[in-house]
Amino acid sequence: MLSIVFHKRRRLVRRLFFNHEQVRTMSRVKRRTTHPPYWHVLKNNQRQDEKISSDNLRFVREVIQDKYKNKSPIKGSDLDIEKKEWDPKTKRSGVIARNIGVQHMWEKDGKKVVCTVLHVLDNHVIRYVPPEEYAKSIIGAKVFRNRKPLGCLVVGAEAANPDRFTRQYCSLFNEVGLLPKKRLARFIVTPNAVLPPCTPLTAGHFVVGQAVDVYGKTIDYGFQGVVKRWGFKGGPASHGATKFHRRGGTIGTGRDKARVWPGQKMPGHMGSERRFCRGLKIVRINMKYNVIYVKGTVPGPTNSIVQIFDTLLPRRKFTEAPPHPTYFPPEDGTLPQEDIWDSNMHVFGSPSIPV
Amino acid sequence: MLRRAVLQTFRQGLAQSFFKRNAVSLSETTVTHQPIETSNEADEKSVSKQKPGDESGNTVVVAPPEFRFMYPEFLPDPAMERRNRLKEKLERIDMLQRRSVVEIPEFYTGSVMAVTVADANSPNKFARFVGICIQRGGSGLRAWFILRNVVDKQGVEILYEMYCPLIQKIEVLRLERRLDESLLYLRDALPEYSTFPLDMEPERRLNNSVVPINPLKVKLRPRPWLERWERQNLQGVEDLNLPQRFYDKAEKVAKPWEKYDLMLQYRKTIPAEEQEKIFADVHSQLQQQEFKRKMRRRRGTDNEQ
Repeated sequence: MLSIVFHKRRRLVRRLFFNHEQVRTMSRVKRRTTHPPYWHVLKNNQRQDEKISSDNLRFVREVIQDKYKNKSPIKGSDLDIEKKEWDPKTKRSGVIARNIGVQHMWEKDGKKVVCTVLHVLDNHVIRYVPPEEYAKSIIGAKVFRNRKPLGCLVVGAEAANPDRFTRQYCSLFNEVGLLPKKRLARFIVTPNAVLPPCTPLTAGHFVVGQAVDVYGKTIDYGFQGVVKRWGFKGGPASHGATKFHRRGGTIGTGRDKARVWPGQKMPGHMGSERRFCRGLKIVRINMKYNVIYVKGTVPGPTNSIVQIFDTLLPRRKFTEAPPHPTYFPPEDGTLPQEDIWDSNMHVFGSPSIPV
Repeated sequence: MLRRAVLQTFRQGLAQSFFKRNAVSLSETTVTHQPIETSNEADEKSVSKQKPGDESGNTVVVAPPEFRFMYPEFLPDPAMERRNRLKEKLERIDMLQRRSVVEIPEFYTGSVMAVTVADANSPNKFARFVGICIQRGGSGLRAWFILRNVVDKQGVEILYEMYCPLIQKIEVLRLERRLDESLLYLRDALPEYSTFPLDMEPERRLNNSVVPINPLKVKLRPRPWLERWERQNLQGVEDLNLPQRFYDKAEKVAKPWEKYDLMLQYRKTIPAEEQEKIFADVHSQLQQQEFKRKMRRRRGTDNEQ
């Protein structure tokens, strides 16, 4: 990418940008925090060393089970809202999943493909925040500053024992009557893709062959030096170099601006940042284990939580209607196909590829 | 109680089977103890020990301990940060699916194998390569092995991915083990140790139950070498005849305490309880596949007759 910069004396100076990542100078913006936002409710309980007898413990468990008795999952026909038609501008809900690892698969011409395995956890819709209300919230105001506001679905995943959470956090799930979830996420949806609370979201929400965006937090490398963090070359390993092997070198000129520019690349904390991987293709869905295989890699280490939603890349969006607003298992009791493969992929049980 | 008993027998079996299978070469018949059945005999005699029940009264099926050596790629990578039970289970299902189509036989480093691969650029559309397996690694669908041969005085090594769908056939022409787990020193050895005829016929084993160890000591070419072989405790290499300073430096650099480091061993291996679970999961399907292949082979020979 060529950029033409006009010098003081009106001479054209061309500067070539090689690494677009470096253009993102976020020097003045705080990129990470270790604490949640101040409007969040306190989540985790301090572990009290309560000496409860085993009988009382059993009683507490029974109470929890009674309170959160299994709710029957919502069927497609139970949807209160009228089934609205899908149109290309619809935004569907996303899904919370765990990145469980990387598996190698092969295409029909024998080419190897590195696929990330994403396990869709037990997602349930917690509540719907309508557009007017969401636009008044802090994040909503920022997102829809100059746009028409959209609604937002709060989705939770990974049910856990209510003992480990505070009462305020559990109260978020009281309306729905579900076991409190370890993870919550918000997905911006158009009003015609709204789902009622307690709707389960599974791997069938997606279609094999579609493109998805995956949001996650990158691997945390900790405090890293300039060579690993910014890709500097450092200094020579030998030839008499004194204490200059992995250092940054010069940090500014003396004449032009006699100071260090903000955003100067230096050692510091690397990783643990929000990143989106756009346009990843789904090559296989396993409906039995709720697992999606996505071509390529995803931000974050193995066993980390990611969010998956339909891509916003214009050329890879849906042309036909996907399961809208979400996938519901067929009501006549027929089981869906367990393992769905993309037409381009070599299925493992099929014969070897001849040429 | 029963669980502990099962584990004990599995672990004893592991140790015993290691010694029994690593019998000395065919010429010395000192196998006095009971031979361990291999996968070939597994369907004839029920090797899978049916333990007399756990608390629920169901029989607990335990895979034979040799599976750890015969199918090492079913064990996952021991690094704890990247382990996930569900993903390993799904990967194993895929591996078994692939094995139902192509026979991936039991082999070790030192076995001579022939691999037929679909190749667009070769005149026959299939390329067959014969070589000795010098190294084997990877876990799950990433499992690989390297075959080495000398063709027209040029040493050639090819890395094959075991579960690649382009592989049409894997044959083991000579099943044996060597004294080392990795035979990379063949690159610095005299070429006759890596040369195998490309039209080699599969050899029939006299004693099906035991995998012989070839105690061959290989002669290396004069230095320079690709690696410092004197630092690697190689058993399968003849005396290197190096000046004493090499051995002194090797001693300085050696880490003799590593053989006492239990945590290091623990981190490098999958614990026995997990291995037991994994192979119990997998072994009934593997046995079925072996059985079907045997029937197909028998029916094939009957038809020929």
